[in-house]
Formats: sequence, C-alpha cells, structure tokens
Amino acid sequence: MAVPAAELRSKAVVRSGGAVGLRRVLGPDHRMGYLFVAPIAVCVLSLVAYPFCYAIYLSMTHKLVGLPPIFVGIENYIRLTWDGFFQRAVVNSFVFTFGSVALKLVFGVVMAVVLTSNIRWRSFWTGVLLVPWVAPTVVSALNFLWMFDGSLGVLNYLLVRVFRILPQGVGWLSEPGTAMASVIAVNVWRGFPFFGISFLAGMKAIPAELYEAAAVDGANVLQRFRHVTLPGIKNILIIVVLLSTIWTFNDFQIIYILTKGGPGGTTMVMPVFTYETAFGAQRLGEAIAVALYLLPVLAVTIMVLARYMRKGRRR
Amino acid sequence: MKGRGSLAIERTLSYGVLVLLAILVLFPFYWMIITSFKNEEQMRSIVSMFWPKPFAIENYQQLLSKTEFAAWYGNSVFVAVSSTLLATAVGTIGAYALARLKFLGRGFLASATLITYLVPPSILFIPLYKQMQGLGMANTLSGLIAAYPSFTVPFVTWLLMGYFESIPEELEEAAMIDGATRFGAFYRVVLPLSAPGLLAAGLYAFTQAWNEFLYALVFITDAKLRTLPVGLASFITGDVYGWGSLMSGAVLTTLPVIAAYIYLQKYMVEGLTAGSVKG
Repeated sequence: MAVPAAELRSKAVVRSGGAVGLRRVLGPDHRMGYLFVAPIAVCVLSLVAYPFCYAIYLSMTHKLVGLPPIFVGIENYIRLTWDGFFQRAVVNSFVFTFGSVALKLVFGVVMAVVLTSNIRWRSFWTGVLLVPWVAPTVVSALNFLWMFDGSLGVLNYLLVRVFRILPQGVGWLSEPGTAMASVIAVNVWRGFPFFGISFLAGMKAIPAELYEAAAVDGANVLQRFRHVTLPGIKNILIIVVLLSTIWTFNDFQIIYILTKGGPGGTTMVMPVFTYETAFGAQRLGEAIAVALYLLPVLAVTIMVLARYMRKGRRR
Repeated sequence: MKGRGSLAIERTLSYGVLVLLAILVLFPFYWMIITSFKNEEQMRSIVSMFWPKPFAIENYQQLLSKTEFAAWYGNSVFVAVSSTLLATAVGTIGAYALARLKFLGRGFLASATLITYLVPPSILFIPLYKQMQGLGMANTLSGLIAAYPSFTVPFVTWLLMGYFESIPEELEEAAMIDGATRFGAFYRVVLPLSAPGLLAAGLYAFTQAWNEFLYALVFITDAKLRTLPVGLASFITGDVYGWGSLMSGAVLTTLPVIAAYIYLQKYMVEGLTAGSVKG
C-alpha cells in the first residue's frame, strides 16, 4: 500500500494543489486508516502471503535439508500421484475428515436442540459441554492415549470388567481395525461443541412465533425441526461445516500424538505425512508438495466459505 | 397444542441427553485428575480404579523436580502473554480501521485478513520454519512469538470487526461534533464500549497461543526451550516417565485455560460464535 499511496499523493498534489484530491482518491480517513492497518498488512504479507508463495516455489524443487534447492518443475507432484503411500494418505484424510465432520454435525445438532429445550441452568450446561473446545488439544489427545491404552487403559477396564461387553481388551490405537475409528472419536469429542454452540446461536435468532405457528398448524417436533429450524440455521450450518472440514482435514496434533499415522499407515493423513516427509525423510520439497497437492480444492473451499462468512456479517 | 405430559417427557429426555453428553465430555478430565494422584503401584494394580487410594502427590513432585516442566511453563507463559498483547493491539486498531474508516483498499484488506484466517498451518509451517531459520530465529521463543500472529491476528481482527460494526456509528459522530478528533472518538468512545469484545479477543489469542503445537514442535529443537504442549508430548517418547507424571503435567497445563474459562465464560462463548458466525 505504501508505494502507490506515495505516488498518488505526489500526483494529487500537482493536479489539485491540496489535500482535497487526495482525500477523494484515497478516502476521507486514509491517513488513520493506513496507519492502523499497516501492522495487519505486514503480518499478512510476511507470515502468510510470502511463506505461501515460497511454499509453492519449494514444492517445485528437490530440497534436502542443508543443501540449496534444485528446481524440478512439477516432478514432485507427478511422483506423488503414483506413490502408494501418498495415495493412501489422501484416502485416509478424506475418511477421517468426512467421518469426523458428519459425526460432529450430528452431535452438534443434538447439543443445540437439548440446549434450546425447556431446561434449567442453561448457561451451566452450555459451559460444561464447551470444555473440550477450550482445553488444550494436546492434553485431550494425551488423555485419550492413556484411556485407550491396551493393557492399563480405563476404556478396556470399563468394557471388560465393569460392563462386561467385551470378553477381552482391545488395543484401540494399535490394531488396524479400530485405529481410524478411535482417532475420529477423539476429533469428534473435541470438535462437536463448536458445532453445537454455533447452531445454538443461530437457533436463538429464530423468532418464537415461527415455532408457534408451526405448532398451531399441527407440525410435530421433527417437522418443526425440518421446516423451521433447518432453514433458519442454513447459513451457519454451511459456514460451520466448511470451516470444520478445513480444520479437520489439516488436523495434525490429534493423530500425531495418538498414532503418528500407524499402525501400518492405517491412520496416516496428509498433514502427518507432510511432517514425516519433511522431518523424518528430510525431503522438504516433496513434503510441501504433499501439503499443497489439494490446493485447488482448498482454495475453492476457502473462497466459498469467505463469501458466506462475509454475507453472514452483513445481515 | 402440546399437553403437560409430552412437555414432561421432552424435558426428561433433554436432561437425559445432557447428562450423557456431560459424562462423555468430563470423564477424560476426571480420569486425568485422578491418574495424576495415583502412584506407580496403584496404576498397575486395578484395586480402587476410580479413586486414588492413597492420594499421592509424588507425581507432581517428580514432575517439578526431575523434568524441565517448570522451564516449559515459563516459556509457555512468556510466549502466550506476548502473543496475546501483540495480537490484541494489532487486531484492535486494524479491525477498527477495517470496520469504520473509509479509505482505498479497505474491502480488499478485509477479505485478505479473512482468507488468511482460513489458510491452514499445515501449509505454512515448513516455509515459516525456513524463514525463521533465515532470520536466525529458529529455535528461539521470539521465533514463536513472531510466527503466532499468522493465526492470532486474523482471528482477533475478524472477531473485533464484528464487534465494532455492532456499535452505533452515531456515538462517534456525536463525539466528533463535540470537537473530538477521529482518534479521540475511537480512543474515548469506541474502545471503552468494546471492553467485553477486547477481553474475548484477548482470551482467545491467549488460548490459541497456549495450545499451539505444530509450530512449537517444528521450530524448537532445544529441549529447554519447549512450550508445554510439545514438552508434554515429548514424555510419551521418553519412556522414563510414567502416566502419573504425564497426567500431572496435563492437569497443570489445562489449569490456566480452564480457570480463565470458568471466570469469563460469558465473554468466551460470545467470542466463540462471533469468530466464525454471527447469528
């Protein structure tokens, strides 16, 4: 912003001989405006825009740690396309993301519905149900790692000794059959309160008369939900689902702490694969290509989401 | 219309679901706390599974005397507090400008800030790491403080933009008619009215910085300079420490965030929804 602003200023001074023309071009509050947004502009440029462009460049190089990068074009992307480990990470990422988001949606709707029903101590209950969202994710992941423990974990203790549902303990995170479901469960546990609280905010904004009118017309609970609640929270629903899809797809810490992508790659998702390629195999260029591989999809999602979020604000 | 009976059923059902969800949500924390008070022996035996008997504080003693946990705590406090102050200051003035002031490029910058908030760290962590290395800030706490605005600032800005937009513009106009400058109107009228919003924004910046894992894992190589999340996670690979010590560390890591949350729940709940959606 600074350079064009300076140019414009000198031109404006020549042309109209004063601050009037400048004000017309840059807006009445441009001085304070540019001063106030300068730190944000620095932040966006140096911490997101520049690293992003640098990432695109690095993804087109062979970059080993400690050596200068060698430009190779889209070779990394082509190689990844036919790499079986990478293909499995992509599939796992989609399974993890869609499984988690779908369940968070269900739990979130349930949470919002019970919190808007006729109950006492509403803010107390809301506060309790939001705890997983506030607590440090690493702590939660470690808690589950301990509870899921095959030999001393409390989950097996409950299922085998207390409720007698299972004949013997299960290695929840160490067996290929249960590992993905377990990491999804942890992600859902941590993320559903955000869905719930957002839907709650949306449902509070729906006028009570609409529900009364629907009740007078003889609509039952489900019909009222379908025809009054859902249309009322449609925008919020789209925003929350898209936002959570981006976050879940890029969730690193839960899987890194619980399984590191194991056992045998059954929970290896793209962010963990990126990290392992970069700092395990020390191949930086390829690692960034993994992170950027689905960039077109991410970009479209972000654009759609940003549009909805701005629209939500204007209402 | 509904009868009294169906209302009672609905209510009972709601309470039933609430209690179930609450158990699901709170059990891991209950388990974390009681594990932290069990000694190694109790952990292996399965007598008195659900209550520590006796209450042992040796896990905490070990954690504080034999590990670098205390140093990590200091690092986390330093990084989180600095990030909070930085993000709140930058975000407040930026959000005010984007919400209120009229100047060329405002809409573009507002969109850019929002998009920045949505770009995931999994794309940025490698180039940011290289950048910090180039600046000689890899493996320093200032490197983390320099990198955290990439997610705290866009979030705080987006949250506060919504807040400032909800304050009636007439208040500032009235102040300016009475002779206040634009800055005076912002400083003396808008800022005091936005105190709850600033508090929510600051709390969120703090929680995000306190909980951050990926950048801290990648940037910091020196064990002494770790922040709490990375330090705690390092206990699982260093198998010298039992679950008791690990859980006592987890309890102490959760404490400040949950304490802030209990005291300031109202603001945080408002901030949470304002950050992404506005009803």
